[in-house]
Amino acid sequence: MKIFDYLATIDRRIIYFILAIVVILPLVFPRPQSVRVMTPAQKLFEAVDSIPEEKVLLIDFDYDPQTAPENEPMAIAIIRHAFEKRIKLAALSLYVQPLGLAVKALDQVREEFNAQATTYEDSIIYGRDYVLLGWQPPPIVPLLGLGISISGVYPTDYYGYRTDSLPVMQGIRNLNNVGILVSVSGGSAPLWWVAYSQVRYGVAVGAGLTAVSASEFFIYYQTGQFTGLMVGMKGAAEYEEMVAQLDVPGRRRASEALGSLTAAHLTIIAFIIIGNIGYFVRRRRK
Amino acid sequence: MNISTAFWVWVSALLSLCIFSFLYKDNPFYKFAEHLFVGVSNGYLVTLTWHGVLWPAALRPVLFEGRWWLIIALIVGALYLTRFIPRISWMVRIPIAISMGYSSGAAIPAVIQADIVRQVQGTILTPDNFSRWNAGSAGVIWTIILFIGVVCTLSYFYFSREHKGVLGVTSRIGIIFIMVGFGAAFGYTVMARISLLIGRLQFLLGDWLGIIQ
Amino acid sequence: MKTRIPLFLVLVFGIVGIIPYYSQHPIIQGSENFIRNDVIRIVAAFALILGLGSLLRVHFDKIRRSRPNWQYSYVLIIGFVVSSIIGLLGGRVGEGFLPTQIGGFEFHMQVLFENIIVPLGSTMFALLAFFMASAAYRAFRARSLDATLLLVTAFIIMIGLLPLGDRISPHLPSFVQWIMDIPNVASKRGIGFGIALGSLATSLKIILGIERSWLGGSK
Repeated sequence: MKIFDYLATIDRRIIYFILAIVVILPLVFPRPQSVRVMTPAQKLFEAVDSIPEEKVLLIDFDYDPQTAPENEPMAIAIIRHAFEKRIKLAALSLYVQPLGLAVKALDQVREEFNAQATTYEDSIIYGRDYVLLGWQPPPIVPLLGLGISISGVYPTDYYGYRTDSLPVMQGIRNLNNVGILVSVSGGSAPLWWVAYSQVRYGVAVGAGLTAVSASEFFIYYQTGQFTGLMVGMKGAAEYEEMVAQLDVPGRRRASEALGSLTAAHLTIIAFIIIGNIGYFVRRRRK
Repeated sequence: MNISTAFWVWVSALLSLCIFSFLYKDNPFYKFAEHLFVGVSNGYLVTLTWHGVLWPAALRPVLFEGRWWLIIALIVGALYLTRFIPRISWMVRIPIAISMGYSSGAAIPAVIQADIVRQVQGTILTPDNFSRWNAGSAGVIWTIILFIGVVCTLSYFYFSREHKGVLGVTSRIGIIFIMVGFGAAFGYTVMARISLLIGRLQFLLGDWLGIIQ
Repeated sequence: MKTRIPLFLVLVFGIVGIIPYYSQHPIIQGSENFIRNDVIRIVAAFALILGLGSLLRVHFDKIRRSRPNWQYSYVLIIGFVVSSIIGLLGGRVGEGFLPTQIGGFEFHMQVLFENIIVPLGSTMFALLAFFMASAAYRAFRARSLDATLLLVTAFIIMIGLLPLGDRISPHLPSFVQWIMDIPNVASKRGIGFGIALGSLATSLKIILGIERSWLGGSK
């Protein structure tokens, strides 16, 4: 069985090459993929959808460039949802790098909507429809401070406007005026919102997580501490699917990736099986 | 193919390829890109720290808004910089003590409530937990399995006694649950890592080369 | 004094962190709010500057002593200086007094962030996919029943999550959800209790001065 000896010592760059081809081909030759929406994403969508008019959706952007491919489609899908349903939106970040990604996502979706708008009322206007509160270190400051006063933590927004002068923030004093807080994060930020803000002030928390964090965060979803979850690129695709049913146009990056994800998963499974077969064959020979 | 002519798209693409070149082997392009990343990231940090915190929350209130008492906070913060002066470097412990003390204190009720009390509430055999699954009578079975799984997992990590007898059985069941949990984590991790690669390729093949429409 | 003052401060501020959870008295809430918003926030900003100073010191030292790859330290320092100037004087999105636009060509901080930091950061993590594939091939072995169970669960998750799983069987995605909701939650909750108790103990030890590693080496 010399083939297994060869496969056991194969250059790692051949493995890299195979993976790259397997991922690239479905992107270049896409096939439509059906997306089945699972309960965690469905619950999050319903929670955002049912925010009363006098309350605000608070999005915590907590992903950095390293996890943007998973988290950015989630953030964009939620922003599209909020803008389509005219839900007031406030955004913030617990760390510095996600702030630039928050600007990018908000600007992108605002431009998508304004390209379709025909009147001023239809348009998405900063300050009237949404606000980017910004970043205040360390994380404990907004985690506990927002429960007392949002403008106390963010007296000015990211662009330097006085927060309490913006129309979107009229009547929004603290976390009691937040319908749900959705933390789109590549790390543990959603847990901190649950542990600090929810424990002290009772705010509903939802999360958009990278798949790496998924298994440990499910324990909080099971207890109801997370109202809903989007998990990884699949979760983002599920939310995109639900938003698309509201007739919101826009590119669905997560859904486009499902073909490549499937091919790559099958390839990894094949690698593991081949590796194990070779291992057992050579072990038996010895 | 519809190759982009935008300057910054090319910059992004070439920097991405510099990092990908590491897959072949470590090389000057990769090292250049890596150091550039750290340098510009820190420039971004300085920018936002100044515009977002130091100027509006500290210096402007002290200099122009009459909140002179914030000078105390500025002095305490400045003690961090004594780290670079060996004779008085012990003073760096003061701002560390303040930050660490406050965050440790705030963590105690948070952890107790969110990570212990609520998690116990979600595990015990109550009608609330039975109905949480929306699965009728099957919800009772799922809750019992969950309860057994948690107890057995905890018993596996009890190392003060040898895993024999009843403890041996429960810890064996516990390791089965743990393996399933880690298998689930591994499956999701594979998806996560592949997603990061797909994201980059979507940019290179779409925004840069225009192969993906 | 060098040890006692910090230990005293960590105790005082530890209590400041705990009490407001249990008391809604306006004086207690107001004091905590002031300490958090006005003191902790400003102190944290200086911590970032300390980190930056340490980084620059390491790289200047590397250049001075001509350590391996010292030339790249220039790239780091120049990148830092140029981006800091653009950001500090030009503003976050070009609103400062330094012009960051020539004709239609913009180069303010947000542009640098989106076109330098984002591609570099995300590509670095994209490499992990390749390393994971290589590890999957070379190292993931079903050496025991437990390891086999781990791998089989992983395979079920990987296939069941995606549209392929739905095509194989409409019950497969629900089964995956069940795995996440029951056995996964059971094991992670058991582990989570241990982590929570450990972090609770560590927090108490820090506040009470039993844990002193944060003081550093010198007395």
